[in-house]
Amino acid sequence: MSHLDSFAERMTRKVARSTSRRSLLTLIGGAITGAATLPVLPVSRAQAQSHGGTPSGMAPQTTGNPQDPGDQTQCDYWRYCAIDGFLCSCCGGSASTCPPGTEMSPITWIGTCRNPADNRAYIISYNDCCGKSSCGNCLCNRNDGDRPMVRPQANNDINWCLGTESAIYNCSTAVILGVAVDEK
Amino acid sequence: MRRAASRIAIAMTIAALHVAAPAIAADYPQPLPEEPVPAVAVLPEKYPESWVFVHDLHFNSLPDGRVAVVDVAAENRNVKGQIPAAQFGNVLPATTRPEILVGETFFSRLTRGERTDVITIWDAKTLSPKGEIVLPGGKRGLFVTLKNSLQFTNNEKWALVFNFTPGSSVTVVDLDARKVLSDIDLPGCSLVYPTGPRGFTSLCADGTMTSIALDAAGRAGPTVTSKVFNDIDKDALFMSPAMVGRTAWFASFTGNIRGIDFSGAAARDLGMFEIAKPAGGDPEWRPGGWQVITADKAGLLYVLMNPHGKEGSHKDGGTEAWVIDPVKKALVRRIALKNHSVSIEATQQASPLLVASKPDGSLDVYDAATGAFQRTIVGVVHDPMTMTAAR
Repeated sequence: MSHLDSFAERMTRKVARSTSRRSLLTLIGGAITGAATLPVLPVSRAQAQSHGGTPSGMAPQTTGNPQDPGDQTQCDYWRYCAIDGFLCSCCGGSASTCPPGTEMSPITWIGTCRNPADNRAYIISYNDCCGKSSCGNCLCNRNDGDRPMVRPQANNDINWCLGTESAIYNCSTAVILGVAVDEK
Repeated sequence: MRRAASRIAIAMTIAALHVAAPAIAADYPQPLPEEPVPAVAVLPEKYPESWVFVHDLHFNSLPDGRVAVVDVAAENRNVKGQIPAAQFGNVLPATTRPEILVGETFFSRLTRGERTDVITIWDAKTLSPKGEIVLPGGKRGLFVTLKNSLQFTNNEKWALVFNFTPGSSVTVVDLDARKVLSDIDLPGCSLVYPTGPRGFTSLCADGTMTSIALDAAGRAGPTVTSKVFNDIDKDALFMSPAMVGRTAWFASFTGNIRGIDFSGAAARDLGMFEIAKPAGGDPEWRPGGWQVITADKAGLLYVLMNPHGKEGSHKDGGTEAWVIDPVKKALVRRIALKNHSVSIEATQQASPLLVASKPDGSLDVYDAATGAFQRTIVGVVHDPMTMTAAR
């Protein structure tokens, strides 16, 4: 796991450098992220379970990039392997951007998802978007690698609108932080 | 508007009378009595043991969470009333006085503005707010409802509030004096499990637990940290235990049961035992759902089980409730649930009922002793995550 720790450290520094206003909080978030154990997780498990994940019925949104396949409005999109919340793709944002007028949380929980196109494991940061009430569209809950509140950095039940102007939760993104495993 | 609406209503009533009156009036010489307004229902001070608090996370509108008070034994009129619980609220019914505590969070402009965290004290009889204690620092933990983020200690004279910023801490509140007594940092630990006469335990990220005794002023006193017992990577404990007296029974992700005795000043690990797994799992039976374990008054445990258990299935809900005798460490019987369920709660009656909440917000009620299905109660809440039986 040492390569993952050093990866997380690099990410922490990078993120801290790029967000001056909330650098301290980002650093805390990064430190938490760095402490996480990062299993390489299975993906593409469509769910119609108790906590959400039914087909969204939205018109498909694809990136157009064959290396990033799938529909970002559907719970089985590869990056959503440990997400819990409303998909920002259905709320005015995308898998990697928050909807207009919301604020992206600087600290969050992470998962590791395998991209079926290039078969790489990516570290995905599930930053919440904050400051408007529950989006209400495309609820998706997948729990690969999720752990209870006792390990917050691996827990997707927490409202990660922390360090934001408002703690009101709107939706969740799934941002690529980098490749999880160094390729030899 | 209202006057116009009443005029229309009266006009419609008169019109209806003209049509229906001649044939029926002779059968009913006396008209129905006039009814007084305003008229507002009240509840008993002490709720019957067939009543259950059903917490509604209301994920589609989190600032507007609520709690439904439900009589699960009644043939009709099951919903007795509602209590607001804003923004990842918590509900904690008192047993020593007719009050219900709600931990909640508000913003002055609903979704923005100044944040205020409070414990609101509701009168059990009128379901009206009778007081509040403002919690400092805007740090009350906001996450999908867990009962152990708001708990009593000191014979219900004090409340313990778990904070998460993402730094962890606990605020100790004097409910009689309506004031905050202390804030206690809890680096690396989560939630509060009341311990001993005056204190609490938290579960920690390194697999240990830390017990903190409180002095008479609510400050942290002697602290005891246990050995590592919670294997969070391979077989994490669900955070919400079933309580039998002061003994907590935790279910683990793979289906083991661990007892922890919280009666002394420091929590004591009672060890873990395995639930013998019958065949039929695909790939295996595991606990699944949100509130997956509950206990009746006799001390039997009920565990919500999912036949499709595997890594990541722990919140998927379940299709059976397994009845476990923790003294004999044995599976006593299995209750096949009519529907896929999210959470379970046993009432504290001598003949308990088992309540299973469903993703659509309705409840199924079973005779806990026989497993016989009794009724479905629809339209209770939106997202029934936790339930608390009246005691």
